Amino acid sequence: MMMTDATRRDFLKIAVLAPLMPALMAACRRADTRRVVNFYNWSNYIGKDTLPEFTRRAGVSVRYDLFADEEEMFAKIRAGARGYDLVVIGDYLIPRFKSLNLIDAVPSGTLKNMGNLAPRFRRPSYDPDETTIPYLWGTTGIAYNRRKLAKQPSSWWDLWDPKYKDRISMLDNVRDCVAVAMQLLRIPQTTRDPEDFRKVRELLLRQKPLVRQYSSSSYLNSLVAGEIDLAMTWSGDLFQAARDNPDLDYVLPKEGTYMWVDCLAMLRGSRHREDTLRLIDYLLEPEVAGSISNSVRYATPNAKAFPLVEKALRRDPRVYPTPQTMGQLQLHHILDPEQSEMWNQVWADVKVS
Amino acid sequence: MDRALSWLLGGRRPLASHLLLAPAAAWMIVFLVLPAAGLLLLSLAKNGPYGEILWTLSLNNYRRAFDPKYLPVLLRTLGFAGGTTLLTLLLGYPLAYFLSFRAGRWRNAMLIGLMVPFWTSALVAFYSWMIILGKEGLLNAALLRFGFISAPISILYTSFSVLLGLVYFYLPFMVLPLYGSLEKIPRQYVEAAYDLGADRWTAFRKVTLPLSLPGVIAGSLLTFVPCLGDFLTAEILGGPRYYLLGNLISNQFLMAQDWPFGAALTCLLLTCLVGGLWLYRRWDDQA
Repeated sequence: MMMTDATRRDFLKIAVLAPLMPALMAACRRADTRRVVNFYNWSNYIGKDTLPEFTRRAGVSVRYDLFADEEEMFAKIRAGARGYDLVVIGDYLIPRFKSLNLIDAVPSGTLKNMGNLAPRFRRPSYDPDETTIPYLWGTTGIAYNRRKLAKQPSSWWDLWDPKYKDRISMLDNVRDCVAVAMQLLRIPQTTRDPEDFRKVRELLLRQKPLVRQYSSSSYLNSLVAGEIDLAMTWSGDLFQAARDNPDLDYVLPKEGTYMWVDCLAMLRGSRHREDTLRLIDYLLEPEVAGSISNSVRYATPNAKAFPLVEKALRRDPRVYPTPQTMGQLQLHHILDPEQSEMWNQVWADVKVS
Repeated sequence: MDRALSWLLGGRRPLASHLLLAPAAAWMIVFLVLPAAGLLLLSLAKNGPYGEILWTLSLNNYRRAFDPKYLPVLLRTLGFAGGTTLLTLLLGYPLAYFLSFRAGRWRNAMLIGLMVPFWTSALVAFYSWMIILGKEGLLNAALLRFGFISAPISILYTSFSVLLGLVYFYLPFMVLPLYGSLEKIPRQYVEAAYDLGADRWTAFRKVTLPLSLPGVIAGSLLTFVPCLGDFLTAEILGGPRYYLLGNLISNQFLMAQDWPFGAALTCLLLTCLVGGLWLYRRWDDQA
């Protein structure tokens, strides 16, 4: 059994246990001479055997902690959450982490398995000096319930269709929502024109009366339960949810969409550098990366692991888009602080009104 | 040992007993005064690139807080807090009355029953409500089964579900002070009213109700005040249209990375609450 049989519902259990974490961590700290790596990752974002296998092989135990929202994760680390060694962060967050001096560069030259990564994931625009290591990648698209919708959605505009009022959910995430609005308005992400941002705000506000939930994790339960029928989603999350409700499907909108790369980053002040690097190297092994991809249904940036991914998954154009679709996928533009502020302001205005 | 203790407890030098305050005072300073001062300072700071905090002090964040775009949030929050207070009072008063005057030997069991949901984490309780209220949840299934509706209706993510969550959570905050004040009413007073010819309703109206007013006010404050800052209920049981003051504040810290603005909003909320309580105390002392 793989861990991903669990849905985001498990987040509930974690949330309940979370208040106990400080006590547990304090209890563990006393025995800090043990070899250990503290790993902070998205919920449902690793294979069930991945970490036990690492412990068995390397004799290093892993304390694993989860988040369900990366802005929240960022807030927690920025507020000085000490004690994590390794964290998974989205490509667009990397410049932010760097500029606030929150991460140390991973000495990628010392990793045995660095060469396994596909060339297109080496020296990427968001991290040209490779201070972080690509972990998994995916796309942002539309999830829908085949049984409840007469017609398969094909465009981002379907999320603005009054016909689906109160059956829509949007990711509670400034990057994805503002980016899609900009794409629909044909505004480049490089803009700093206040007039452009006014248009984006207007478009998102026009949609708001139709939206039942802005959520980045609990909407998956709503989809499974039939509470909503149409959602902006991250690819693998939907494929995991589809295990609980086979009527759920995923489309990449015809306007094109975004791809993103989640990366392994080593937090500054890590007290377990050697073992953290060992864990990163382990996660880059073809068998390990392949089995993670199989269980979480996201694509692996690991070229050597690709042949080890289940055939059905490997050939699924929703997971590994065709070369033609790949051409339409773009990475999020890296925002400078001023732009970042403008994006946040638009999103805050949409949420508040 | 005995001498030391009696010295501490006052004895001939009452000043020494001030030492008894030390642990509580230290607690208050470390966990209330210092954080509050930090919050105040933070609210004057400036939000820098990527949410860095720049210590150029100004009142800018407070000016932003009075932007009219936040008015609907404020009114909505006042509405939900007021509605919750009213509903818990309507539900809670008869309950507290029953507990105090009629429950007899069942009283303790009922009080514990009242407290059980309160001991459960609000998070767990609200997730359970999601299961009950959902489109394919228990309530819809029951309504469909008995033919009250022909298709599942939206109950979750409505103002109803938010209000339900708030009333559910804050009911004990209302009932316990009410119960306390009703319990303190000497039963002889009520009996005296009967002896003087009052019927049950008159006795309640003229004796019990006025004597329980302190409980009504304490319960209302204990419900209304935390309701103003509640964000979890709207977050879990409310849809996008039920964005409350608490959500606005929590989002400054967790999403927008604008801590100074969040701190300014918090300071404003705190000032209003403490100011309101102070006015109430003054009015109460005079009355």
